[in-house]
Amino acid sequence: MRKLLAAGAAIALLLLPTPAYASENVVIKLQDVNRTGAAGTAAITMDDAGNLTVVITATGLAPNLPHPQHLHGSHDAAETHCPAAGDKDGDGFISVEEGVPEYGDVFLSLTTTGDTTFTSALAINRMPKADAHGNLNYRRTIPAADLPPDTAAHLRDLHIVQHGVDANHNGQYDLAGLGESSFARSLGVPNIPEEETDPATCGLPAAAAAANVPTGGVATGDGSGRLNPSTVYLVGGATIVIALLIALTRRRPAK
Amino acid sequence: MKARVGGLLALLALAGCAGAPPAPHAPDLVAPKIQDHQALPELTAGPIMRSSRPTRVAIPKLHIASGLMDLGKAADGTMQVPPNADVVGWYTGAPTPGALGPAILAGHEDFNGQDGAFADLKDLVPGDQITVNRQDGSLAIFAVTKVEQRAKTAFPTAEVYGPINHAGLRLITCGGEFDSTSGHYKDNVIVFADLVKAG
Repeated sequence: MRKLLAAGAAIALLLLPTPAYASENVVIKLQDVNRTGAAGTAAITMDDAGNLTVVITATGLAPNLPHPQHLHGSHDAAETHCPAAGDKDGDGFISVEEGVPEYGDVFLSLTTTGDTTFTSALAINRMPKADAHGNLNYRRTIPAADLPPDTAAHLRDLHIVQHGVDANHNGQYDLAGLGESSFARSLGVPNIPEEETDPATCGLPAAAAAANVPTGGVATGDGSGRLNPSTVYLVGGATIVIALLIALTRRRPAK
Repeated sequence: MKARVGGLLALLALAGCAGAPPAPHAPDLVAPKIQDHQALPELTAGPIMRSSRPTRVAIPKLHIASGLMDLGKAADGTMQVPPNADVVGWYTGAPTPGALGPAILAGHEDFNGQDGAFADLKDLVPGDQITVNRQDGSLAIFAVTKVEQRAKTAFPTAEVYGPINHAGLRLITCGGEFDSTSGHYKDNVIVFADLVKAG
């Protein structure tokens, strides 16, 4: 009897799913960088299959302009932060070069379509646009296969940076605002306005939740500690599952 | 005398005291309102560890030390439960213990005639320690903050699974009256704990 039960339990253990990842949901609070007045929230959720869904809702961004956005951080567990103060050249704006030591390299480019690696970091044509009121809504699921290794383990070490400021308030990113982006130039792309690459918001994890919430209570007990063990066990619920284990032990007269 | 074993032998997660209807609300995953545009303060509270799968749980006060198995969701959307009395399960749909967010462990009150691993969970009081060993070799040490007994029909889904700004742990088992008609306990006992030390 005991052996049979133990065997049943062992088989059950083998049959239970063993996902490669813990699925979780990280809530990120996007905060103003460079006095843009922009703010927002984001949620990054990894499901059981390791796919990553990024949802961003931001307000107060430069209207009608695309905003390059990235998940920043590092694979090697280095501490990264949002830049609180880093305007070393005193132009009043924290540039990418001033920010990167704080918020780390681009981990993923949060484009609207196509490639999401760091090579798309400046792909302005595939970055989401703020509407006429400066609101930006973004949602994309990046398949597990397209994610850098160990993304799951680093989910809460990453943060979101949105770029793009309109320093001279003329409705466009132009060289007249803050000049040329030396960052873009350093990557071999000249004549990109610094307005386009300066950070506007930076988001750090503020909370996390279960990504896959079960319904109702948990069936952790069958009352068998309270029943006469010689009675029939009727284990099992109306709602749950495939399985019922009814162990019937009946006495027989000795022969 | 000879014992004969009959009836059905089933395999998967067994419904012990299942059957609670779905809780009325899912957690609200909206972050707190932005108030401070000047500083960029720490947004989280207390110690937080990297993600690493849990391997063992111990509750010294209750003399519990158990290996852990993975728990997913059953077909009806409820959480799976361990298939035997003395194993505790870690719910993989939520963060790992020690990481930011609520980690969930479930164990039986009783099962197949035996007391379950979490039979005495209701005896915990705030301050009691719970330790979780993790695959990366680290130890997450939690302290109980509260112990609640709630009807399964009013399971506090948002409070258990919803977003929190620190590393938390919830231990879940059954409690309250046993309804022998349905085969289920009417309540869940839920222990809430916070990470106090990463070792």
